Amino acid sequence: MDNVRICRLRALAARLRGLFQSQKRDNDFDEEVKVHLQLLVDRFVAQGMSQEEAADAARRQFGNTTLLQEDRRELRTCVSVEALARDVRYALRSLARSRAFAAVAIGTLGLGIGASTAIFSVIENVLLEPFPYKDASRMVFLRIHDTARGEEGDRQGYTANEFLEFAHQSHVFDGVIAASGDLVLYKQGEGVEAFDGADVTPGTFEFFGMPALHGRVLQPADYQPGAPPVFVIRHKTWMERFNGDPRVLNKTFVLNGTARTLIGIMPPRFGWYGADVWIPETPVPGAATGVAGLTRRWFLLGRLKPGVSKAQAAADAMVIANQLAKVNPQDYPAHFQVSAKVLGDSVIGRFESTLYTILAAVGLLLLIGCGNVANLMLARATSREKEFALRAALGAGRARLVRLLLVESLVLAIGGAALGVLIAWGGLKLIVAAMPQDFIPSESVIELNAPVLAFTLAVAVFTALSFGLAPALRAARRDLNDPLRSSGKGVIGGFGTGRMRDTVVVAEVAGSLTLLIAAGLLMRSFAALREVQLGLQADHVLQSLLLLPEDRYKTPAQSRGFFQPLLARVKELPGVEDATASSALPPYGGEDSKIDISGKSHEYEWHALVQQVSEGYFHVLRIPFKVGRSFAEEEVNDARKVAIVNETFVSSFLRGEDTMGRRIKLAALATPADPASEPWFEIVGVVADVTNSGLQAPVQPEIWIPYTITGSGAQVLMVRSERTPTSLMNEVRQAVWATDAGVALALPGALEDRISQRLYAGPRFSFLLMAIFGCLGLILVTIGVYSVLAYATSRKTHEIGIRIALGAERADVLRLVVTAGFRLVTAGVGIGLIVSLLLGRAIEAELARGVKPYDPATLAATALLLMVTAALACWVPARRAARVDPMVALRYE
Amino acid sequence: MTHAKKSEVLQGTLDLMILKTLHALGPQHGFGIARRIEQVSRDVLQLNEGTVYTSLLRLMQQGWITAEWGVSDNNRKAKFYSITARRSSLP
Repeated sequence: MDNVRICRLRALAARLRGLFQSQKRDNDFDEEVKVHLQLLVDRFVAQGMSQEEAADAARRQFGNTTLLQEDRRELRTCVSVEALARDVRYALRSLARSRAFAAVAIGTLGLGIGASTAIFSVIENVLLEPFPYKDASRMVFLRIHDTARGEEGDRQGYTANEFLEFAHQSHVFDGVIAASGDLVLYKQGEGVEAFDGADVTPGTFEFFGMPALHGRVLQPADYQPGAPPVFVIRHKTWMERFNGDPRVLNKTFVLNGTARTLIGIMPPRFGWYGADVWIPETPVPGAATGVAGLTRRWFLLGRLKPGVSKAQAAADAMVIANQLAKVNPQDYPAHFQVSAKVLGDSVIGRFESTLYTILAAVGLLLLIGCGNVANLMLARATSREKEFALRAALGAGRARLVRLLLVESLVLAIGGAALGVLIAWGGLKLIVAAMPQDFIPSESVIELNAPVLAFTLAVAVFTALSFGLAPALRAARRDLNDPLRSSGKGVIGGFGTGRMRDTVVVAEVAGSLTLLIAAGLLMRSFAALREVQLGLQADHVLQSLLLLPEDRYKTPAQSRGFFQPLLARVKELPGVEDATASSALPPYGGEDSKIDISGKSHEYEWHALVQQVSEGYFHVLRIPFKVGRSFAEEEVNDARKVAIVNETFVSSFLRGEDTMGRRIKLAALATPADPASEPWFEIVGVVADVTNSGLQAPVQPEIWIPYTITGSGAQVLMVRSERTPTSLMNEVRQAVWATDAGVALALPGALEDRISQRLYAGPRFSFLLMAIFGCLGLILVTIGVYSVLAYATSRKTHEIGIRIALGAERADVLRLVVTAGFRLVTAGVGIGLIVSLLLGRAIEAELARGVKPYDPATLAATALLLMVTAALACWVPARRAARVDPMVALRYE
Repeated sequence: MTHAKKSEVLQGTLDLMILKTLHALGPQHGFGIARRIEQVSRDVLQLNEGTVYTSLLRLMQQGWITAEWGVSDNNRKAKFYSITARRSSLP
């Protein structure tokens, strides 16, 4: 075994040496051959031949010296680099001669390779390597799942106490950190700006192990009591807010009333918790309150010890959680499970299937492209039969011919890849612009990087093999005599390769139909989403989040002290119809709460969404009342315990019963720092259902109460006016600052725009890409069908001429060609339909409710579209065939 | 095409025959090897003698044999091939 290996190594070394000494070796060999031949001649002469006869016999016995020399060269050089270089030169020359073919092939491949490269780089950066942190795959977070409810009942935020318990008692982590969202206000110019801040626990930056780009990261000393207050800023925020000015480093900013020094600017890909700034904070058990009196929650992240699985981590955490549940039963559901999820799962779960669907689509597109090029190559190979036969006759071996053709394919594929990288580079900009931002981790930067380029290269080689191998083998297998004998564009020769080309076309049509159907379904789905009845009118409504400084706005009275005059001011602005405060923005409906209803007992927990609003809410959003009335202004201002519920609430809990005057207990309001002492609310009205859990999810039971009940009740301002919402923005901003100059406005804009941007972005992204790929596929198939028919017709010119001369009508000829083309298209459409139905399940998850993967309208429309396009592709060559002049055709040869 | 296949089978055999020849007779030049093979196979094996050189090159590359220029019996300059010392313990 070892010997064999040594032999191979020696041979390789010899070959490498051979690259450099070929001239001398060739001379040596010539000398040897000469001696050998001379000895043979001597021998034959001694046997009685004449000098000439002997020389001939010697040459015969020795064999072909040129071939020998070739063999030896091949032996001497590595995989015959020389020959390869020769082949590449030859391929380039031959492609340069047929520019149109090369352009179509490279263009087709460029599209396919470019599209797949672009999508792969999204997948690489978003799904495969989204996090720049070491051991990101071992970073997990814990989620508590209420086994009696769906995913919406899950919890992944923990109190400081819980965090400390998990951090200290767990055996599976070699590091646990946590972060808690912290709205950071700071004065900037005439108003106030807001940062998305994160309070981070000691060890956070050591945990991620990324150094700062400028300055330094947080260190243990920064967490010591009495240490100077500091913070670290994100690269993106630094670029956007401070134009990347390095002088802001070591400057002091007043954040939420505390003067903090900016000590570090992180590298672009650091984005822990999606925050703008990171502030050191040591969680202290018992310090319960965070924003506006609500219990502060920490999102915790642990790094698994090497070799520990997620299941082990979950089991370990379950033990701790069970202990915690005994101490704080109100924080835990009756039956629950703890699961451990990888960091990536926190962001990309839903986007993943979308991306893989699109990758599959792109792969299909690439295959269609390959099919096209394969057909072109086959056609080209057919017309090059003579050339290959000649080469074979002159001594080119089969392997040699195959290699020649493969090198040609490879040259095309590399050209396609180069074009593809350009297309991908441009396409990525479009994709990033169209991509729903919330769906990807803030750490991932979508770019063409080394793994992506390696992927492109691999794809190029794959395509070269997939479209080049069949024509190459075919060309090499040909019998030498036939092509040489026939005098050119023969009558017989052309039909030999027909079946293979036909198969490729059928496959292409099927693939393209699959793509088109997917695009069609996503389009239907997108349209269906747009038609979803929100239950409210979002037009002509201006919305903005209002960020109130926490230190001055804690109690319900303080909150009311701001909103009451603000609403009054805004309502007086010209053109304004009504304005309202709210705790949530449509189509979401506030916080989840356990509830009880007076006089009703129930086995399972009852849950409903609780939204806090002012009296104008239903008027601003045009939500109709079914029974009862809206809140009166005094009820809101006096913080009366009144409630309005939606129809789903009634049908879920009070079906067929009297609702008015019933009392509901809201458990969520019992826990905040300023608990509503008796959280029982009397129902005064029932409104029609309004989408309240996002566009796709069914409506949940919902309760509205006055925003004055808690200190955190109002966070959103919504204004209905006759004017376009954006024209109102400045006046509203002035009204806000006139009420309190310390309040910041976040995300001001038209409610309508927000809903379409944030909620349709995902479906629009899939639909848009799929539609583009569908169209590209259609174009490629049209080219494919056209080129095959055009080629076949031009080869049959002679035959058609004879037919016409023998009395065939032009219509007959037309029908002949169109039928031939249409047979292929129909077969392809049939297969495509079957494939689509089989693949329907894969795409079903991407579709809106109510759109089925076998939607007949979509199937019929796309199949028809394909047939019509294919008919056009058949028509052009058919017309050309019908116009054939028999005399010209017969003289053609 | 069939010709190529046949010659491939032959190559391995030829390599072995050359090695045996060199083992039996000591250093030989290409002509000598060709004669010996002709003799051993009793003229059954009709080969293009040139292919012997391809085999020789391959064997040399794998380190089985070495070559050096010398003078033949009838005073001609010729390349002599011999089995390398370490390799001569052939079966």
